[in-house]
Amino acid sequence: MDIINKLLFVLLGLFIILNFGLFMGVSMRKIVARVARRNGVPFYQPWLDLIKLYGTRDQISHGIMFYLGPVFRLSGGVGIFLFMPLIFGSQYFNNFSFAGDLVLILYFQFFGMLGMALGAGEGGHPYSAIGISRGLSQFTTIEVPMTLAVISLGIQYNTLSISEIVAAQQGGFQNWTVFTNPFATAAAMLSLLGAFGHSPFNLVKAPNEIPIGPPTEYHSTFLGVLQTNAAILHVIEAVLFMNLFFGGAVNWFELMLKSFLIYFWSVFVGVVFPRYRIEQSVQWFLKVPLLLGVIAIIIYM
Amino acid sequence: MISPIHIISISLGVAFAIGFLGKNSNKLSAVIMLLTIGILTFISAQWAQAFYFGNQETVQIFTAGYKPPFSINLQIGVSESIIILLINSIGLLGGIYLFDTLVKTGKNAVVVYLIFIMSLNQVVLTQDIFNLFVFLEIQSIATAGLIVLERNRNSISSGFKYMIATGIISSLLLIGIVFGYYFTGSLNIADFIQANMMLSKGGAVALFLILASLLLELKPFPANGWALDVYESIKPGTSAMLSAASASAVLFALYKVLPAGNPQTFEIVLGFGLITFVGSNLLGIKQTNPQRLLGYSSVGQIGLIVAILGMKPFLGEKFTFIAIAIFISHFLAKAGLFWLSGIIKADNIRDWANLRKKPFLLVLFGTFVFTLIGFPPFPSFFGKWELIMQLSQSGYWYLVGVILLGSFFEGIYLFKWLGYAIKLDNVNLPEFNINWKKIIPVAIVGVLTYLAGYYSSFFTTGTEHFEKFFVPLFFIAILYFLDFLPNFVKNIIAIAGMSYYGYILLPGLYETDLLRFIFGAIFIVGGVLTLIAGFTYKGQRKGFHPAALMMFAGLGGIIQASNMIEFFFSWEMMTLGSYILIIRGKKSMPHGLSYMLFSLAGAYLILAAFGFTFSQNGISLEALKGLAFAPNLIYGLLAVGFMTKTASLGLHIWLPGAHAEAESDVSPMVSAILLKAGVFGLIILFLSMGAEAAGQNSILYLLGWLGAITALVGNTAASFQEDAKKLLAYSSIGQLGYILFAFSIMTHLGWLAGFTYSINHFLFKAVLFLAIGAVVLRLKTHNMYEMGGLIKRMPFAFIAVLIGIITLSGVPPLSGFAGKWLFYNAVIEKGWYFQGTIVFFAGTIAFLYSFRLIHSIFLGQLKDNHRTVKDISIWFIIPIYTLIIGIMIFSARPDLILKPIGNFLMPYFPTDALSWTDTMAKTRLGYWDGTWVMIIIGIMFSLIFAWLFILSRKATKVEQFNIAYSGERPERPETTHMAHNIYAGFNKAVGFIVTPNISKFWASASENLDGAAGYFRRIYNGNGQTYALHIIIYTLAMYLMIF
Repeated sequence: MDIINKLLFVLLGLFIILNFGLFMGVSMRKIVARVARRNGVPFYQPWLDLIKLYGTRDQISHGIMFYLGPVFRLSGGVGIFLFMPLIFGSQYFNNFSFAGDLVLILYFQFFGMLGMALGAGEGGHPYSAIGISRGLSQFTTIEVPMTLAVISLGIQYNTLSISEIVAAQQGGFQNWTVFTNPFATAAAMLSLLGAFGHSPFNLVKAPNEIPIGPPTEYHSTFLGVLQTNAAILHVIEAVLFMNLFFGGAVNWFELMLKSFLIYFWSVFVGVVFPRYRIEQSVQWFLKVPLLLGVIAIIIYM
Repeated sequence: MISPIHIISISLGVAFAIGFLGKNSNKLSAVIMLLTIGILTFISAQWAQAFYFGNQETVQIFTAGYKPPFSINLQIGVSESIIILLINSIGLLGGIYLFDTLVKTGKNAVVVYLIFIMSLNQVVLTQDIFNLFVFLEIQSIATAGLIVLERNRNSISSGFKYMIATGIISSLLLIGIVFGYYFTGSLNIADFIQANMMLSKGGAVALFLILASLLLELKPFPANGWALDVYESIKPGTSAMLSAASASAVLFALYKVLPAGNPQTFEIVLGFGLITFVGSNLLGIKQTNPQRLLGYSSVGQIGLIVAILGMKPFLGEKFTFIAIAIFISHFLAKAGLFWLSGIIKADNIRDWANLRKKPFLLVLFGTFVFTLIGFPPFPSFFGKWELIMQLSQSGYWYLVGVILLGSFFEGIYLFKWLGYAIKLDNVNLPEFNINWKKIIPVAIVGVLTYLAGYYSSFFTTGTEHFEKFFVPLFFIAILYFLDFLPNFVKNIIAIAGMSYYGYILLPGLYETDLLRFIFGAIFIVGGVLTLIAGFTYKGQRKGFHPAALMMFAGLGGIIQASNMIEFFFSWEMMTLGSYILIIRGKKSMPHGLSYMLFSLAGAYLILAAFGFTFSQNGISLEALKGLAFAPNLIYGLLAVGFMTKTASLGLHIWLPGAHAEAESDVSPMVSAILLKAGVFGLIILFLSMGAEAAGQNSILYLLGWLGAITALVGNTAASFQEDAKKLLAYSSIGQLGYILFAFSIMTHLGWLAGFTYSINHFLFKAVLFLAIGAVVLRLKTHNMYEMGGLIKRMPFAFIAVLIGIITLSGVPPLSGFAGKWLFYNAVIEKGWYFQGTIVFFAGTIAFLYSFRLIHSIFLGQLKDNHRTVKDISIWFIIPIYTLIIGIMIFSARPDLILKPIGNFLMPYFPTDALSWTDTMAKTRLGYWDGTWVMIIIGIMFSLIFAWLFILSRKATKVEQFNIAYSGERPERPETTHMAHNIYAGFNKAVGFIVTPNISKFWASASENLDGAAGYFRRIYNGNGQTYALHIIIYTLAMYLMIF
């Protein structure tokens, strides 16, 4: 397969993921609305939003880093997509996963976060900085159970290659990590709650407190880029968990179903539990999730 | 050759003749006296030369041609000739120094001084015990005469105490001599030695009394209150003579008589010497009066030399060298220090800041302090080294510990004092005059310490190839004498020197020893780059270049060292240079002190470990391998010693202040570069432990945990700093924690990660410290919340910091990720899951401080007073962007660096290596292609940027306060800049991690030490009777312990 073909399939994959991401996002909004006995937005809302944002004529910029922030952010999302194998066994949808393994993806997440934080910082709004400081604080401990889970997988499968981890889970749902390594899965799924940033861990964007957190100053095309990224990132992170813990996917349908359910898990928790303060959420990940992570490792020692 | 008998005849003759001079001939008599001492010096020099270069045999001289006991027997041999040469030369210099005082007091004082010197000569030369007694008495009386040269209440009362004390001591001596004569039938010391007095109890008691009185003459702790009062209250010129000249004579007398005892006698002398050494130095900690402090130090040093005399039976052929090297250091330095205190005339060591008004004197002061502590290139360094080696070889390991403890106590007060002189405010202190008669003697002994040090190196084991260490020092000395030149010129010379050094050192190393090449490159290339930043400074920048180059010479030296003394010599040079560099910062005094004390303690642990190694396997660095006896003790000592430099948790408290308060271009030197010396030491240690084979060693397991916790605590503390440079300093602690952890893993991948981290830390920490330092130079503040929005004013600094923090945090595609990736693989392979998780947790915390650093300084709101500030100096931009090129190369082609390191590691760590296919690295677990990651991210980033640029090309640039602020417009940038206490929530959650328990521990340790010193010194109540009682009790105690 030559490089042009490869690129075309990558772009196709990106297009699917983007649209699925927008759909998934709006579905969740509908669900949350229904729980609150509202009707919620129509299903085509995110597409309309994007068109509107990209079409806005009035734009302001606070400086070069403000400009680069969304670029970093979207590069972060697309980058993770590029390094992620999507469909197991498909030679078309494994993207550029040959360039690095799970560790690359874990650390590349920071690329977008960091750029976003810096761009928002140049905006000069104190809410941005407050949101970022909370986000970073929370992220430190979210990573602890996740790290333990990843190490546990590394020991279990003796590899850090995502493709090989998926390969090892083939041949029936009983081979999925969620059944073969339930503690690691549990730790990771709790850490996922923080990573996805729904309640109770949504203090970063804290609606009605610091209205939208870091992107406070972003608007128009910039916000459009950020929302594009959010759609991609949500799916691709769910895909990561799918690959690691739920057997991966052999076709697009399986991918969508599984990632939808994984994402739904964080929304489900979010509508049930109220928001934590930052020190509470930082500590929360050092309790039960940490313990589960430790158990996940002890069973392999 | 002139017979030594004429030393006495000439002195006595002149002394009598002076009496015949007229009333107004004080000056003439003083000149005559100096000439006479000059002749004495000549006579002794002639003998010393004959012994040293010729084949002169020891000569016995009998007065009046009779044999003893009817005549007085003088003996001159090699030792005697050296000691009287020292006494006479210091007598000459001391005479010059005291010239004005003596002239003013009158010719009687001149005579007293001459008789004093003569009596000391005789104490050395005589072989007759009664004659010894007589001349000791003459010496006491002359001393009393010199004491009252200073006429005030204190000196007169201390003169009385002195008379009381020496009176008791001489009675003891006399009784001893009487009994000794009874038992041996002779008064000749040689006969005493022959007679084996220890066989009979009476003879033993006689000998005991003689030795005890000689010991008491040497002012042993704690029966020395009288002497301390004397030191404190008299003319410093006299103190110098007491401490240097008198002590030499009496020490030599003790040395002569000691062989009359048996091995047990030697042990007792050793014991009492050591008690004095440790006790006196402990009490010295509390002193604030310079002369009294020097008194304590004198007593302590003499105690050490007494102890060395007691060690003679097991120091073997090195005994003479050790004794002389340590003695001469004390001799020169103490004379110099007492003389300096006479020039500066201050009652409190804090007022020595005045010394700085004459930088030349400050350098001399520093020289003497470093000489006393035993830093290279001074003789005490070589003496102490050899002492520790020989003691270890003889199996007296605990003595090594005691001696190093005493030395450490001495270091505490001497370095506190030096710090005061270098740093305290001296504006309000009175001017002082410089009299050449007082300066010349000090300068001469100052130069002599260097010469003696150089000369001492020839006698020390393992110094066959020392020229390569002395050449850089010589270069530095020249640079010091060029200190009057402008900074620009000196910087060019320094850079040229360093570059040449690198040119001759590095290319050859790449082929032969990659480990040393890498660290050599960090030290020297890093050194050159950070020196470039120094062009920013205007004026002369006095003292900077010699110190910086000394540090780099030391660093280069540890790379070149092939044996332990070469390593230790360089290690100490590096400490010395870096100490001076660190203490140059404006508020660095306390940090310089704590840096020095930790370094000193660390160096002593290393020295002890080297000694214990030497005793088993010899002096080569290879000797550290395959230790048969107590390997874990030795490795543990070395590990702790090296970790004082890597600032691992528990030993880290010196670092934040030292790095943060240092000058802008010094911070990167001591952070990015100097810390790697500790890493290099640890690597040498770990390789010696047996590389892969040592993987299960429990020390390594502990170090792994320590590294992980250091990383966590360092990074967490960094997140809570408001001071930008402190933040970077704590970050260094954390990063060095990673490095310690990685090397402790002891696998191929662990070590690769360790190397990657070391190289990366060098690159990004130099970038960050240079950039932040340059910003600080512009803004004149370290506090981040006082900055903000500087991206608009300082884009070059911003980009540098951005690249620095991306590398630091390990975000792909920059080279920091290489470290993280290797880490994951290494941790899982090794099975250090929990430690590893802590390290990764620390890694995410690094984002907190990275963001804080860049946001609080460059983003957010620009302050009014910074609206016109310029970008950082070009002299900082050049090294910063050179380093960034390095980061980029390492990021794009990690294989270029990691492949050779992997090959280098193969012999040590053959299993589970990294395999390479082109630019793709593979481990047993995972894979990573740095080049492809760089390409993919680069293209993607450019495309997205282009896309956004097309969409938003018409965006309007808005002004600072144009933000969505609830319809309001913020007035002040200060209230809109979210920067102070930015991680309050995080602090609330996990702030307990950084409770400063360790700082509290060290603070209480130093308080307790201080308290103990304060408590024990109460025995000195200033009362002559009490002091007399002390002497008697001391003698009794000695007696009871022996018999």
